[in-house]
Amino acid sequence: MIQLAGPALPGLLEQALERYGGNAQAALQILMSVQRALHHVPDEAVEYLARRLSLPPVRLQGLISFYSFLSARPQGEYVVHMSDNITDQMRDSRKLGAALCERLGVRLGETRGDGRVSVHRTSCIGLSDQGPAALVNYRPVTRLDRERIELIADLINAPVPLSDWPPAFFWVDSNVRRSDVLFRKPPEPGAGLRASLDRGGKNLEAWEEDLAPTDARKHQLDRGGAETLKEIYRSELRGRGGAGFKAGIKWQSVREAARGDRYVICNADEGEPGAFKDRVLLSDYADMVFEGMTVCAHVVGARKGIIYVRQEYWYLHDHLQATLERRRAQGLLGDNILGSALDFDIDLHFGAGAYICGMETAMIKSIEGRRGIPRRRWPLPVHQGYLKGPSVVNNVETFACAAAISARGGAWFAGLGTAQSTGTKLFCLSGDCERPGLYEYPMGVTVREILRDCGALDAQGIQVGGPSGTLINRGDFDRTACFEDLPGVGAMIVFGPKRDLFDAITNFALFFQHESCGLCTPCRVGTTLLANYVKKFERGVGSPVDLEEVKHISSLMRNMAHCGLGQSASNHLMDSLQKFKHIWETRMKSLEFVPAFDLDWALEEARSLTGRTDPDAHLPPRPRV
Amino acid sequence: MPTFFLDDSEIPFKDGETILEAAMAAGRYIPHLCWRPELEPHSSCRLCTVNINGRPFSSCTQPALKGQKVECDTEGLLAMRRAVIQMLFIEGNHHCPCCEKSGGCKLQATAYLLGMQDSHFHHRFPVRVRDLSHQGVSLDRDRCIRCEICVRASRALDGKNVFAVHGRGIESHLAVNSVTGLLKDSAISPDDAAVRLCPTGALMAKGHGFEAPIGDRLYDREPLSVAELREYQARRAVHD
Repeated sequence: MIQLAGPALPGLLEQALERYGGNAQAALQILMSVQRALHHVPDEAVEYLARRLSLPPVRLQGLISFYSFLSARPQGEYVVHMSDNITDQMRDSRKLGAALCERLGVRLGETRGDGRVSVHRTSCIGLSDQGPAALVNYRPVTRLDRERIELIADLINAPVPLSDWPPAFFWVDSNVRRSDVLFRKPPEPGAGLRASLDRGGKNLEAWEEDLAPTDARKHQLDRGGAETLKEIYRSELRGRGGAGFKAGIKWQSVREAARGDRYVICNADEGEPGAFKDRVLLSDYADMVFEGMTVCAHVVGARKGIIYVRQEYWYLHDHLQATLERRRAQGLLGDNILGSALDFDIDLHFGAGAYICGMETAMIKSIEGRRGIPRRRWPLPVHQGYLKGPSVVNNVETFACAAAISARGGAWFAGLGTAQSTGTKLFCLSGDCERPGLYEYPMGVTVREILRDCGALDAQGIQVGGPSGTLINRGDFDRTACFEDLPGVGAMIVFGPKRDLFDAITNFALFFQHESCGLCTPCRVGTTLLANYVKKFERGVGSPVDLEEVKHISSLMRNMAHCGLGQSASNHLMDSLQKFKHIWETRMKSLEFVPAFDLDWALEEARSLTGRTDPDAHLPPRPRV
Repeated sequence: MPTFFLDDSEIPFKDGETILEAAMAAGRYIPHLCWRPELEPHSSCRLCTVNINGRPFSSCTQPALKGQKVECDTEGLLAMRRAVIQMLFIEGNHHCPCCEKSGGCKLQATAYLLGMQDSHFHHRFPVRVRDLSHQGVSLDRDRCIRCEICVRASRALDGKNVFAVHGRGIESHLAVNSVTGLLKDSAISPDDAAVRLCPTGALMAKGHGFEAPIGDRLYDREPLSVAELREYQARRAVHD
């Protein structure tokens, strides 16, 4: 394990406190920086930080126990997180993970005796177009195969520092396979912002009389913002995070909110398994995203913006920081942006491993340094969001679109796509397709066209919008990807003709069980009950009664769960029961009731504890082969 | 006073009141476990879910609106509330016959109120740590339903901040704010609101137990709904 000499720990902590600010809000950022440096958060660090942040230690421990990447127990000098999305599994990630563990002599989820290495599984890390993938000390390693895994084990055993590993291991491809208006001709940095500010100036004569002589520039600013808001309305832009709420309404609500400092928050907690568009936008089009946030600040009158990026994308930190620095130097961020009265800056904020933080109210709590628990529905974040100030929370792609809309006008955007889904959309293709990657299409494209382009026309099914979205079969391939038909974040996981879809169902059910925050009863208990039923079928001992139970629990969660996670956590089960019922039926032992309790299965824990695999360790004893 | 409709009855409400508050004031009981009138609503147990325009909302957080039509006691909602209670029972280890809180337990009383006949789902039988270290207060996590009333009450009413929730999902659990993580080293006291307001036997003052015979226990004498409505209305009368 990584150990620092006595005085070094306070030094490290003071450094983090200085960087992130010594207040309670910074707690999560500070803990995560300790985690990255020491690969765990030692008790002494908790005590020290509790004192310095004036928080009870129990609060910091609450964060450590909530976020997947934080750990109170020492991890290895090398911490490997194997991405465990179904797309990774479809390329043998489980076998590769086992091979890695074997070659390293470590058990999954544990740290090797000499403190050298620990290996874990983690939810999708946003690289399903180039998996199987893993994070090694929070840096992504892509395209894992047997050879790469063996090499990694040897590099760790040697040990070779990460900086001396072959650079090719860390290569992350953008894989943009189809460009439309957004990718083909992104607006120049500053173009959207200039257009927005100019909207105030151009119409100056028309409303000159209203100007108070002392604050002419403020008025000009505000008029420009009002005009840009009209463009956003004209564009009919809807949120790209999946829910599809109209951006114009959201922005106007914050603009007109009665009191409090306003905030612009960009949701880059791309946690939906199979999604990776934010990764590409942030690595190749970060300017467009930051520009969209700044345009939004102009419209709503915000001085502070925050981009919440998932920890899995920590490797983009320096690039994002540099882009922000450059934009400040270019006068596109900071005080008096482009010589106007607009003051706005953006803070980078990283998550610590929690899918739930993609939910806007959970994200706000996480930014405030708390456990990412979705709060109650009212008041809405547009009225009381971050630090109780009116807050716009939009997805990365939404802000990128907003920058382009400001530069080119709302009518241009509204002319693309369908009546209720304007513009273009980014689709993340992964799984059994010849050309996985990112595809930009006008909204309303048919699934069939996408499948043709990515080379997957023989698919038996597609998980559209990730596990919380819709599972479709061949009969649905003429359906269209847009808010009217198949909405979602744009993730499309392709299942080829030979796949056993039950593997995907199992993966998703376990994913939701792992990611449920635990606040509300239906989701906390329901995701566990559903995972148990799926495991029962996986063992081939399901029964029709169980199917009725799965439907019952699913309906309960849809109706009673507190937030979107619980409400949508059983979509994949219901879709598969409707469209791929055979994958369930072939796992039934009989058409009668089968009890959940199985004497032989109950011995499994004892078998694994004692390492017994012989026939005599089964009940009834299995025939010797 | 403006009104809204709760099933077939017209309920008056004051500006800013939630559906649950207005209903309780009007003598209509909506089942709940994580809501307390003196604490911020939490909307985590989900028992108080009602339908408005066909969409479900937790009535403890949803503001009442004039003319709104709220469905509360439909057969579908009653069945779902019953299932939520069943989930709470199978999630922990609730051994009513030997629990001192039996008869005064809101989880048990709500189960009776909703006509729960069995636990329906498979019991999880989790292994949870009990904390009997304190002289005057016991913490039995087997009986905890994660309503966080103690977390909120300790902070807002006792001014102590003794409790927090740790972990995530099904593994989330009550944690104690003390150096050792044990109650004995915390600021808890047996007469704290955090202890008094615990709806189950998770937190109890020691030195009492089984004081009333079966038939004469708190919710033997009157159902939970009647007791809670009376308490709430008395409280409002004082506040008004």
